Amino acid sequence: MGSMTSTDDSLAARTGRALLDAATDAGGVSILAARLLQRMVPPRVDGPELWRNLHRMGVRSLPIVGVTALFTGGIMVIQAGVLIRRFGAEGLLGWGAGFATLREVGPILIALMFSGRVGANNTAELATMVVTEQLDALETLAIDPLAYLILPRVISMVVMLFVLTIYGDVLALAGAAWMGQGLLGVSTATFWNGFLETIRVWDLATGLIKSVLFGGMIALSSSHYGLAVTGGAPGVGRAVNASVVASATGIFVVDYLATYVLQ
Amino acid sequence: MIEFRGIRKTFGPKTVLDGVDLSIPDGEVFFLIGASGAGKSVLIKHLIGLLKPDSGEIILDGRDVSRLDKDALYEVRRVCAMVFQHSTLFDSMTCAENVALPLRKHRGLSMREALAEARRRLETVRMEAFADRYPPELGDGMRKRVAIARALTVDPRYVLFDEPTTSLDPVSARRVDRLIRELSDNLGVTSIVVSHDLQSIFSIADRIAFLYKGRLRMVGTPAEFRASDDPIVQQFTRGLAQGPMEV
Repeated sequence: MGSMTSTDDSLAARTGRALLDAATDAGGVSILAARLLQRMVPPRVDGPELWRNLHRMGVRSLPIVGVTALFTGGIMVIQAGVLIRRFGAEGLLGWGAGFATLREVGPILIALMFSGRVGANNTAELATMVVTEQLDALETLAIDPLAYLILPRVISMVVMLFVLTIYGDVLALAGAAWMGQGLLGVSTATFWNGFLETIRVWDLATGLIKSVLFGGMIALSSSHYGLAVTGGAPGVGRAVNASVVASATGIFVVDYLATYVLQ
Repeated sequence: MIEFRGIRKTFGPKTVLDGVDLSIPDGEVFFLIGASGAGKSVLIKHLIGLLKPDSGEIILDGRDVSRLDKDALYEVRRVCAMVFQHSTLFDSMTCAENVALPLRKHRGLSMREALAEARRRLETVRMEAFADRYPPELGDGMRKRVAIARALTVDPRYVLFDEPTTSLDPVSARRVDRLIRELSDNLGVTSIVVSHDLQSIFSIADRIAFLYKGRLRMVGTPAEFRASDDPIVQQFTRGLAQGPMEV
C-alpha cells in the first residue's frame, strides 16, 4: 500500500497523497502482473497448490454464489413484473431476464460476492504470511513465493470466477423462470422459448469475458495488497480493507470499460 | 567458511551494523550474542540475501553473497538454511506437508514420496507422532523442532538459528540445544546461533561473538568469555541489571 507521511492536512495535500497512493498501488499491481507473466514462460505452477486453491476458492464458493444467483433471478422478475403485467409482455420475460443476467447482473454480482469471500481471504492470508515471516521462510527454502504461492492463486481465481459465473447464470435464470411462473403466471415453456429465441451466444460470451477480467483484477489487487502489507496485525486489517474497496471499485470500472468495448 | 568483511547497515537514521568483521570456520557451533536490537538477526539475514549491506562483503564458500542475483541466491539458500525465531511453519499445511515441501521442490519427489521422506525426517527430531497435526495445534518447542527438520531437508552445510530457544520451556530448550550440537558433531554442519539464552551459550557454543553498538566487542570461546574482565561483557554474560551497558 502506498502511503505518505506528512503533517500537511490541507485538501490539496490530502488529494495529492490519495493520488500518489493510488498511483503506487496501480504500479504495484502492474509490476506484480509482469512478474507473474515472467513465471508463466515456461509455466512454473505448483500442481498440488493449484488444485488446493481451485478447490477452496471454487468449490467452497458454490453455496454462496448459488444462493445469490437464485435470489438475483427472482428479484429481476419481481422488478420487471409491473411492466410485464401492464403491457402483457409475458413473452419478453425470458429475453429480459436472460439479457440482463448473462451480460451484466450475473457477472457483476458474482464477482462482488467472489471478491468479498475469496479476494478478502486471499489478502488476509498473504498479509498474515508476510507479517509472520512465512514468505521469508519460503525464500530461505529457495522457493520462489510468486511462482509457488501467488501464481496458483491468480490462475485459480480467474478460472473459478469464470466457472462460477456460468453456474450462477444458470441458477439466476432458473430462479427467474421459477419466480416468473409463481408471481406472474408465465409458464416456464414461455420463459425458455423467449430466452432461446432472442439471446445470442455473444450475450453469454460478453458476460464470460467480463468474468475473466474481473477474476484477474480481483486476483492481482488482492495479492498486491496482501504482499505489500506493513505494520503487523493492524496492517493486515488495513490491507484487507483496502483490497475489498479496490476490488469492488475495480469491478465497476472494468465493467464500464468492458461494456463499452464489447457492445 | 563464512566471512563478514566491514559490514555496515543502516535503517533510516539508525546505524545497526557499523563495520563488522567476522570469520566462522566450517563445523563450528558459533553463537552471536548481544542485547535486543543490537543487529544480530540483521547480520545473519545478510548471509542468505534477505538483506543487503550498505557496504562490505559477505563471503560464503569464496563467493560474495551481497552481489548475487536472485537465482544465485537460491543456490546459496540450498547450502545455507535458516530457522526463524517464530518457526514460520506454514499454518495451512500439516507438519509432514511443511517438511515435504522443499523435498518436492528441490528433490523432484512426488507428493507421496515427499511425505514418506518427511515422516522419516520428523523422526530425527522426535516429532513423527505429530506428522499429521497442523502447526497452530503444537507448542513452541514442537514447532521449532519441525522447523529444524524442514530446514535440514535441503541438506545444508550451514544453518542459521534465530533465537531458537526463546519462549521455550527449559526442557524443550535443552532438546533444541542438543539438536544443534548433534548437527555439528554428527553431520559437520556449521551452525550460527543468535541467542540470549546463557545456558545454551555456555553449554553448546564452540565460539561466541558479542555484538555491541553495531560492532563486535569480543569474539572468543565460552571459557574466554567467562574469564573476560571487560565490564560490559561481564554484565551481559552474567545477566546483571546494573552495569555500564547501554541498551
